[in-house]
Amino acid sequence: MSSAAAVIGASPRRKMWRALRRNPRVVLGALVLAVLVLAAVFADQLSPYPPNRQNLRNSLSPPGAEHLLGTDQFGRDVLSRIIHGGRVSLQVGFISVGIALLIGGLMGLLAGYYGGRLDSALMWIVDVLLALPAFLLALAIVAALGPSLVNVMIAVGIAFIPVFARVTRAAVLTVREQDYVAAAQAAGSSDLRIMFKHVVPNALSPVIVQVTLALAGAILSAAGLSFLGLGAQPPTAEWGSMLSTARPFIRDAHWAVTFPGLAIVITVLALNMVGDGLRDALDPRRKDA
Amino acid sequence: MLQYILRRILLIIPVMLGVSVIVFSIMVMTPSDPALLMLGEHAPPEQVRALRERLGLDQPVVVQYVRWLSRVVQLDFGRSIRSGRPVLEEILQRLPATIELALLATLVSIVIGVPIGVLSATRPNSVVDHSATVLAFTGLAMPVFWQGLMMILIFSVLLGWLPSSGRLGGWQHYVLPTLTLATSAVAAITRMTRSTMLEILTQDYIRTARSKGAIERAIVYRHALSNALIPVVTVIGLQFGGLLAGAVITETIFAWPGIGRLAVDAISAKDFPVVQGVVIMFALTYALVNLIVDVTYAYLDPRLRTRYE
Amino acid sequence: MKRILVLLVAFGLLLSSSALAYTITVAQGADAVSLDPHRTNDQPSARVMRQIYDTLVVQQEDLQLVPGLAESWTQLDELTWQFRLRGGVTFHNGEPLRASDVKFTLDRLRDPATAAPAAFLVTFIDDVTVVDDLTVNITTKAPFVPMLSHLAHTATSILNEKAVTAAGEDYGTRVVVGTGPFKFVLWETASRIVLERNPDWWGGEVLPSQVVFRPIPEGTVRAIELETGAIDISYGLEPLDARRLEADPNIRIAKVETLATHYIGFNVQKPPFNDVRVRRAINHAIDVDTIVEVIYRGQAVRATAPISPRVFGAHPGLEPFEYNPELARQLLAEAGHPAGFTTSIWTNNNPIRMQIAEVVQAQLGELGIDVKIQVLEWGTYLADTAAGLHDMFILGWVSVTADADYGLYSLFHSTQFGNPGNRTFWSHPRVDELLDLGRAESDPELRLAYYLEAQEIIHSEAPWLFLVVTTEQNGLRANIEGFVPHPAGHHRLYNLVRN
Repeated sequence: MSSAAAVIGASPRRKMWRALRRNPRVVLGALVLAVLVLAAVFADQLSPYPPNRQNLRNSLSPPGAEHLLGTDQFGRDVLSRIIHGGRVSLQVGFISVGIALLIGGLMGLLAGYYGGRLDSALMWIVDVLLALPAFLLALAIVAALGPSLVNVMIAVGIAFIPVFARVTRAAVLTVREQDYVAAAQAAGSSDLRIMFKHVVPNALSPVIVQVTLALAGAILSAAGLSFLGLGAQPPTAEWGSMLSTARPFIRDAHWAVTFPGLAIVITVLALNMVGDGLRDALDPRRKDA
Repeated sequence: MLQYILRRILLIIPVMLGVSVIVFSIMVMTPSDPALLMLGEHAPPEQVRALRERLGLDQPVVVQYVRWLSRVVQLDFGRSIRSGRPVLEEILQRLPATIELALLATLVSIVIGVPIGVLSATRPNSVVDHSATVLAFTGLAMPVFWQGLMMILIFSVLLGWLPSSGRLGGWQHYVLPTLTLATSAVAAITRMTRSTMLEILTQDYIRTARSKGAIERAIVYRHALSNALIPVVTVIGLQFGGLLAGAVITETIFAWPGIGRLAVDAISAKDFPVVQGVVIMFALTYALVNLIVDVTYAYLDPRLRTRYE
Repeated sequence: MKRILVLLVAFGLLLSSSALAYTITVAQGADAVSLDPHRTNDQPSARVMRQIYDTLVVQQEDLQLVPGLAESWTQLDELTWQFRLRGGVTFHNGEPLRASDVKFTLDRLRDPATAAPAAFLVTFIDDVTVVDDLTVNITTKAPFVPMLSHLAHTATSILNEKAVTAAGEDYGTRVVVGTGPFKFVLWETASRIVLERNPDWWGGEVLPSQVVFRPIPEGTVRAIELETGAIDISYGLEPLDARRLEADPNIRIAKVETLATHYIGFNVQKPPFNDVRVRRAINHAIDVDTIVEVIYRGQAVRATAPISPRVFGAHPGLEPFEYNPELARQLLAEAGHPAGFTTSIWTNNNPIRMQIAEVVQAQLGELGIDVKIQVLEWGTYLADTAAGLHDMFILGWVSVTADADYGLYSLFHSTQFGNPGNRTFWSHPRVDELLDLGRAESDPELRLAYYLEAQEIIHSEAPWLFLVVTTEQNGLRANIEGFVPHPAGHHRLYNLVRN
């Protein structure tokens, strides 16, 4: 962070944290996410049953003492599958957003810093990607490469590149004009050094907001693709595919559908609340109301 | 103003070209042999080979692309591999159904989202604000399939008020699919309205208006609202593409004859001409929608309008 | 007097025609692909085409073969059959049915340029010759007894030469002309296909004035539409929906055993599946009854023979492999795999098949057989299994002609490896012999004996894990009368009454 900014009063960082802590949605969302991450990491220990253990005689049994959330059509414990599904969802979310951040961020960084023809070329690619609705693009990629979780990660990652490219580019553009950058250039620092020492740290805040929101979107997209049969393959427990395979039973054994659905809602909601709160808190125009 | 519009239209061309390359290369990447798919599993190999030749699948990729592109530009998307129908005809038959839903859903989400956003903005960080936001985002997070089916069970089976599926037979058929699709769009509109409204409400002229009296307040608030809505217009354009994701599943549940289902069916059947046609038409529609949105925005925003006139 | 008579007749006609003006709405899980029988061979399309076209021979719901457009036939010699066409039959466009139409249809079906998916049904034909306007000769390449059942299949529906030639590429979508009980009116893709009564149909009175086919992909919604009365018939209900609707007094469930068998095949070219003990062991290791109960949920019966019991020639007395993991372990040990082995099972993304794969994976896992599930896209699935790249695979086969020749030849004959149907690459010299004899033998008793023996060998050598024969559950509103489901799935609707 630039030394100039550090001098000017209660740093924006401190203000931001205060604002976040006071927003109950953010606090709740963050708590939920913490629980999710913990559950994902300790999935094996927390699950009462192995997620793929079948018990055909116990098919579609309602929630009860033995199975807190009931069983699916193979007699597998729904709760265990939801916990493991959380791990899968988080993995998919992080990897696809990671791909988008890496490629998109790089594109945005280069485009914003160097400008000119490189900027036009890179932004043309972004426009092309934006012209194709993310879901359709992901659908086509997965259909071409074959159904698998890995391909879903790639497809969703590619679909989110434009978001990160634009955000980083915008952030870089604002930072580029600052004095300290010109000073560093005059002093002879290499472009690379300037980019990573000055530009990137200042572009971080809006990017973090986007990461959180993109995670929510990625998990939702992945669930949607798995729902269409293009993502997680059996017997992998994934919320979207759990929803899909249980749909013929929705009227007679709704728990196999309701609980994975709830898991998706809670996770995506939590991510959105946190991301939204972050965006509010980081908004430079925001005045404490 | 006209210059701006023309420039934007011209910019669509290089984008569409890029789209065409992507679309074409995605299909080339697929491992399945379209000729074998067309003829079915029992076909003798010579027949398959003959068909490949006839379809031009044995040519180098670049040649295939150029041939294809020259036809596409003349709006000749070929015929569907499965049904033999001209692709353009199939698409044009199905596109209206999806556009209808998308437009209606956008309208509904505005009708629901803007008031909620305004409400949130007038009482920031209150219980009302928090619950309204959570509600809006829940609509976004809730699996479309579940939503749709719940609506059918409640309104069709339980209450018997509305039909369960299909598009023909009156306006009642539009209600449930539209609501299902709209719930995911509400969130973005709510947030956008809230933030722009907040920004305006904290400005000086609003503060002075508050102290002046009811009628003046009302006038100023209305003025504030119309200003706040301008950025919301940009959200609408972005939403349109996002609606497709919901549309695919919505169309499946409600047996809606739209383009989302056409795309999914064509992709699983490896019906290349149809897939290519759908993606291009959709990209074009999306580009046009965004063009309209951008122009509208430029027109509405007084700061931009003076710049372009 | 004469005037009164004329008035009475006119009045009577008016009454009868106005009383019978009702529409039957049918929902199925997918839209038709094309209404040109040479363009596609999928079930949803065939179900619609059944109402529009006729075939030379008709296969009734009890699988008896009776005259259709051909009112009689005689075998002139070993290789030549002569068909005498019904007189006075007209197509929906007014054209009379002629032998030239039959020749045109069968030639077009056989023509490689047409690339008809159902062309394999008529590969036995050598030539079709027109004798006169109502007589046509069909010569076969070799004696082919199942011929009549092939000529009853919707893919061999007789088309009108004039209409097809005039419409060109648009035939089957914009232009559809047949001789059947219903005429094609319009087709709004993914929305509905509307057919109207053909008052001049040769086959009898057509009762409904209109039939509408609606594609509703989501099974749950199909059942709901039936419940609310928005549709009259739903082809294929989800098992739990069917069970629930059985109790609904407004709904009737019409169940029918289909001609479809589902199986798990072993690629006998790849060890350890080249050892019959391993194949038998796996047969004993899977609890098929539970699969029927849990996955099919009452919409299937356990298969003992490789073909459905509704097929002519099916073996009624084969003993199913009992579920006996101990025996399985023993056999595996004998074959040299006491600790199991690693292998894979292939399937496409059909939800039922995927569930079966999961169960198989779990149950074989208990024997130490580590099974990886590989889900492939349909086209790749067919291509790669044709190339023999797989270990185990799940597939189905529909004996569309309800004749054992169709049900066994492509699957078990040594000349049918790969795409034609034999993806296990298994063969047996005696089975080859029996199947060849079967298709040339005109004595039905002898034919039956050949097929029974062939099935006994197939059963004992177990190139398959025999799974199920599916039953179809169709839902109807209780006020619909006259519906008799056909095992092939092409249900006829012309005699339905709505009360």
